[in-house]
Amino acid sequence: MNWRKLRTVVLTVLALCLIPATRYYQIDVPLLRFLQGPRHVDPLLLHLSGEFVENNLGTEQEPNGSVTVRMIAQQYLFVPHCILVPAGVPVHLRITSADAVHSLTFDGTDYAVKVLPGTISEARLEFPRPGEYKMPCREFCGAGHYAMRSELKVVPRDQFPALRPQERGSCATQ
Amino acid sequence: MRRNRPRSTKLVIGIITAGSLLLLASDNPPARIPSYVAWTQETFVAISQGDAFRGMLLARHCDHCHGAEGFTTIGSTPNLARMGKLAVWKQLEDFRTHKRQARPMNAIAESLSSRDVADLVAYYAKLPAFNDPEDKRVFPQSQPDPVHSAMVSRLISFGDGERGIPPCQACHGPVAYRPGAPWLANQNAEYLLNELEAFATGSRANDINMPMRTIAALLTEEERKALAQYYGSGLGLEPAGEK
Repeated sequence: MNWRKLRTVVLTVLALCLIPATRYYQIDVPLLRFLQGPRHVDPLLLHLSGEFVENNLGTEQEPNGSVTVRMIAQQYLFVPHCILVPAGVPVHLRITSADAVHSLTFDGTDYAVKVLPGTISEARLEFPRPGEYKMPCREFCGAGHYAMRSELKVVPRDQFPALRPQERGSCATQ
Repeated sequence: MRRNRPRSTKLVIGIITAGSLLLLASDNPPARIPSYVAWTQETFVAISQGDAFRGMLLARHCDHCHGAEGFTTIGSTPNLARMGKLAVWKQLEDFRTHKRQARPMNAIAESLSSRDVADLVAYYAKLPAFNDPEDKRVFPQSQPDPVHSAMVSRLISFGDGERGIPPCQACHGPVAYRPGAPWLANQNAEYLLNELEAFATGSRANDINMPMRTIAALLTEEERKALAQYYGSGLGLEPAGEK
């Protein structure tokens, strides 16, 4: 056996395993961003295919315990209208706009996410304590802008429902 | 030695393939599509090419339910006079693809060609929506409700910021319009209430990106009734608000 060759192979395997690992643990590596899914979407075709179809919106449970929240901002609503996340867990927010420029803010925190049509805005948030936050739009987006507001419910980790991989959680009344 | 090299190469290729498959594997659930309509440039072009005169001839088949001049006496059927081209076109398209279910309309929409649809929407968009003593159109069908008028005009002009309900007139006019949002003034109260209830329960689900399902579910039953009454009584031509 050629030990030198074996060492090369093992090291190559380990190095390649790091690529899926960055995705699994949601580590942001600038050089690998092209592997982490598209960052541009057509705002007019959101409902037809891709990440922002209506049954994919809401909170998704990741295998590593964190959650991903997908939302659409549109005149004059955030969809889903009520977001449910567990406390003390990293929240990966992915949001895009179907029409104008919006800005998603969380009252009582410093978080603010600018939402542009055609681009997926990403944010990594964490809410340490359970509670309810209002999420108003802070970028003038049209005649109904002043009523554009949704809600975030942070619940204790044990009260967060166990979601199946295909299931999306939200507290919107439907 | 010679055998070793291809094996390690194969191993590396295998790992690269497996890794990229893992990355590409989409774990998204199968898409639920509310409507196949998208407001692209091609859609606007297709809608705008209608011939209103041919539409008038075709519309004689619709008169039995939707009324001779776009106003019907059947409360559960919508009035089509002055209805926006985009709104009627989208609903006919959704009836055709069974994204919106309504007993006779699915079969009727299936029988229409895309040119027929464009002609029909051009005709209905041209019909006037006001009462004219010269013709025999019956309107309004319900009386305005004085008890809820303040609450309703607040909802229509300002919405409810606390609950996140946007104002109706910001999308349905006359303040601002959204592609596909129908004109609500002079609509039948019974039809409006039926549709709001259907959106609230999710039995009608053809609104793109769910605006109406969200808003109808946020409104209380009393508010839905009062809004349907308001628009059904012939109001809504002017912007609502504190006078």
